[in-house]
Amino acid sequence: MMQFRLEKRREPSKVMLYATPVAAVVLTMIVGAIIFSAIGYDGVGAVREIFLTPLTNAFKWQDLGVKAAPLIIVGVGLSIAYRANVWNIGAEGQYIMGGLAATWVALATHGMGGWWTLPVMMLAGVAGGAAYAAIPALLRTRLNVNEILTSLMLTYASVQLIYYLVRAPWKDPMGMGFPQTRRFASEALLPNILPGTIVHAGVPIAVIVALVAWFIMSRSVFGYQMRVVGAAPHAARYGGFSENKTIWLALLVSGALAGLAGMLEVAGPFQRMVPGFPTNYGFTAIIVAFLGRLNPLGVIFAGIVMAITFVGGEVAQTTIGLSSSATGVFQAMMLFFLLAGDILVRYRLKRVAPQGEARA
Amino acid sequence: MTLNRRNLLKAGVAAAALPLLGSRAFAQSEPLKVGFMLIGTVNDNGWNFGHATGAKFMKDTLGDLVAEPTIVENVPEGPDCERVLRELAQSGHKLIFATSFGYGDYVIKVAEQFPDVRFEHATGYQRSDNVATYNARFHEGRAVCGTIAGHMSKTGKAGYIGSFPIPEVVMGINAFVLAARKVNPDFTITPVYISTWNDPAKEADTARAMIDQGIDVIAQHTDGPAALQVAEERGIVGGFGQGADMSAFAPKAQLTSIIDHWGPHYVNAAQAVIDGTWETGDRWPGLKEGEVQIGPYGESVPADVVAAAEAVKNGQIDGSFNIFTGPINDHTGAEKVPAGVIMTDAELLSMDWYVEGVIPPA
Amino acid sequence: MTLELAIAILVTVVGASTPILIAAMGELIVEKSGVLNLGVEGMMLVGAIAAFVVLFTTGNHYLAILVAAAAGVATSLIFGFLTLSLSANQTATGLALTIFGTGFSALAGQGYSARPVTLLGPLFPSELAAHPIWRVLFGYSALVYFSFALVFSVWWFLKKTRAGLILRAVGENDLSAHSIGYSVVGVRYMAVMFGGAMAGIAGACFPLLLTPQWAERMTAGRGWIAVALVVFASWKPFRLLAGAYLFGLVMTMELYAKASGGPLSVIPAELWAAMPYLATIAVLVLISLRRDASTNAPACLGKPFLPSN
Repeated sequence: MMQFRLEKRREPSKVMLYATPVAAVVLTMIVGAIIFSAIGYDGVGAVREIFLTPLTNAFKWQDLGVKAAPLIIVGVGLSIAYRANVWNIGAEGQYIMGGLAATWVALATHGMGGWWTLPVMMLAGVAGGAAYAAIPALLRTRLNVNEILTSLMLTYASVQLIYYLVRAPWKDPMGMGFPQTRRFASEALLPNILPGTIVHAGVPIAVIVALVAWFIMSRSVFGYQMRVVGAAPHAARYGGFSENKTIWLALLVSGALAGLAGMLEVAGPFQRMVPGFPTNYGFTAIIVAFLGRLNPLGVIFAGIVMAITFVGGEVAQTTIGLSSSATGVFQAMMLFFLLAGDILVRYRLKRVAPQGEARA
Repeated sequence: MTLNRRNLLKAGVAAAALPLLGSRAFAQSEPLKVGFMLIGTVNDNGWNFGHATGAKFMKDTLGDLVAEPTIVENVPEGPDCERVLRELAQSGHKLIFATSFGYGDYVIKVAEQFPDVRFEHATGYQRSDNVATYNARFHEGRAVCGTIAGHMSKTGKAGYIGSFPIPEVVMGINAFVLAARKVNPDFTITPVYISTWNDPAKEADTARAMIDQGIDVIAQHTDGPAALQVAEERGIVGGFGQGADMSAFAPKAQLTSIIDHWGPHYVNAAQAVIDGTWETGDRWPGLKEGEVQIGPYGESVPADVVAAAEAVKNGQIDGSFNIFTGPINDHTGAEKVPAGVIMTDAELLSMDWYVEGVIPPA
Repeated sequence: MTLELAIAILVTVVGASTPILIAAMGELIVEKSGVLNLGVEGMMLVGAIAAFVVLFTTGNHYLAILVAAAAGVATSLIFGFLTLSLSANQTATGLALTIFGTGFSALAGQGYSARPVTLLGPLFPSELAAHPIWRVLFGYSALVYFSFALVFSVWWFLKKTRAGLILRAVGENDLSAHSIGYSVVGVRYMAVMFGGAMAGIAGACFPLLLTPQWAERMTAGRGWIAVALVVFASWKPFRLLAGAYLFGLVMTMELYAKASGGPLSVIPAELWAAMPYLATIAVLVLISLRRDASTNAPACLGKPFLPSN
């Protein structure tokens, strides 16, 4: 009987690093089509509408850009943190606090804004996100409290903060009593950069953020430090890199970028703060970070792939009546394949003769 | 029921007349594509189910004049809905219904880009040349429920499970207690907001909390039958189905139900687009037009209470009775509406204060 | 407050606490083995729809619970295969599992939403629970007694059995456990499957114990509360029991306070809703402030097992 066994590669395979995400997407399309056909849906149609239509229909590209932008910005921040083995899963909360901080600026300066409004909102968003991420950083470095859990708990608290603010102190006096803030003044709205489309300034910002992050991570001491602390904490300590400092940097950077994304969303597509502001970008970006192999350039690709499934999911609803829950199943399937493929980056499959006791 | 039939009849007449028109303009054209955008799933037994049922009613009534309606579920209120709206408009839908309040900004925005597409936004207030708003006077149904509650409650205390304190909900609470206090002047209602439209376990626990503290009639503004099921289990006086007849879940406890019947409106709107007579505006029909209906009365409702409820219903249908007629005091007892004055639609649509008899929440 | 109201509140608290207690107890075992499965919410939803479909089709509550447990195990095996056999990242896999469970349960539940079923009745004959005082002891369904038995069993298993010792060893130091001949991956598989079974049963609590219906996403975030609870309890079964009831009490008192229209109802709803999460952080801080500072977290939590072969 033939057996396979996994053998660790000396170095992660470059080929597999790039091939597995593509393979995951292709496998999802094939397996998804088969499974959905088997249970009585138009499986091929579902795959076509979810994965291909958003790409082939040029009218959908603007949607992909707008949907991918916040995912990329948050995903880049998270990929930096995860490289350093700092598990910030509260990006959703930091995104919300960034949005709220920017909203506060927009409301406080309403009617007296100017060219400086957007930059100040941007600073507020970055500061809001970073400040919220500073709480898990403080607790982790001072008290050794697990950041996965604190950052997650803070996310739920921040959702309630939105509800409270838009229901009571920030409620639009002209909003017919609905829980939402007033629409921002025009100085507090992101400019549209492509006339006739919905593409706002956040889209190029996302690309710039990813490029800058890539440059810093691969070319600077900071990037080196993050990677070393993540990959080999003991070696890092010998090398004089402080683990606490890395934790602080990782959380602040990922929080700041999540906050920036929050600001861009509220000043771009939302144009006011509403209870529906949390749209799971912070959680989806975790997946984007992994899909992009924790590499800022990969995150661009991953953000677009995730955006395709969202946009395509809605296309499939309108064209072939595929329910929204089916899109969720497709997304999960793609992630499963992708995560499964990870192993091929680090290991190779090797055929071995049957063995009695195979202990390493 | 007669009203419902009248609407059916109207639609039927229109449909019958159409082949004449059609031979001129529409015989060779494609059937009208109508899109519906929902905040939740069509399986919620409540709000979204009501709209999906209305969509089906439209298709059944208009037949080949309209294509199979396109329903997009679970669309969040935010940039995602803008994309869905454009997707619908771009894929040839000439009439699009956006059925949640938070879609408003985006409907206006997308409608500017598609001037030949008609949009209708439920529960909203922003309009333009090709954006109309529509809603239903659910508070008329609430007044009927309140009348029943006033008669039947033994403790004189009702509870009202709401999601968020938006005017629509506040209006419903006020109509309910105003009607109940016409029967029992000491009647009170306690609203509890649970900050979610769909957490059935929380709704059920809210109902338990109410019943344990002496409340024996429960109304709710959230989707789903959870509260009614608790009412059934505990054997209190009862509750009311919201959006649809929920007697299957609570055969004894459901005293009656408020049924959303969007169908006639959807038929009329689609017909108007087909005829080229569609106009913007704000449509706010109620019991009279059959858009709000009162479901069958429960077995436990005595004949005299049914008669009282029917009187309130019919009074609202023929226009002789309006629940928001002064004198109306707010919850502190200060007069807000002088005797004989009827509140205007605009006042109702921005109602953010509670009438006397409401124990106001934080 | 009268005695009767106090008892009534207690009964509601028991209902609200039971599913989070059962799910958290499962996750506690998973985390004790060094694995962090963030897919509890997804597994609960799969359990909830499985229980509902079986209950609706057969009318048998106990069969529904069993199938829910099996469905939870099946879902957890996706997670187990990816993270244990293929050493995929646990955080990302757990999140993907929740996306999967949410979508799958909604897909499977289409057509089941307008169907009524009945709750699981009390385990003991109603005569035993006639007096309000006795109701506190004998008035619940089997799921509630199961949750108490579960707490005790888990405590006993971890403290008193050899298998429990091995489980903890695997979670504290996987390499040592491996070197003295234990199958780290095997133990973790068992733990993950147990977590899946408990999450499935916790999901079954929704249509069987709380509200006899199926609604999409009906667990409404309680899977995440269960995850929080494990940390809140610093991985100790009896503390977890106390924590689950504290969370249940906070969630329930909000509703009682508001429904009473009394003085407590001035606290904004949002603050009530945020309280369990803020309390969890506060507890984490308090634990770590103690002299013998250790949060008791399993040392290998969330890290893949990578023997250098």
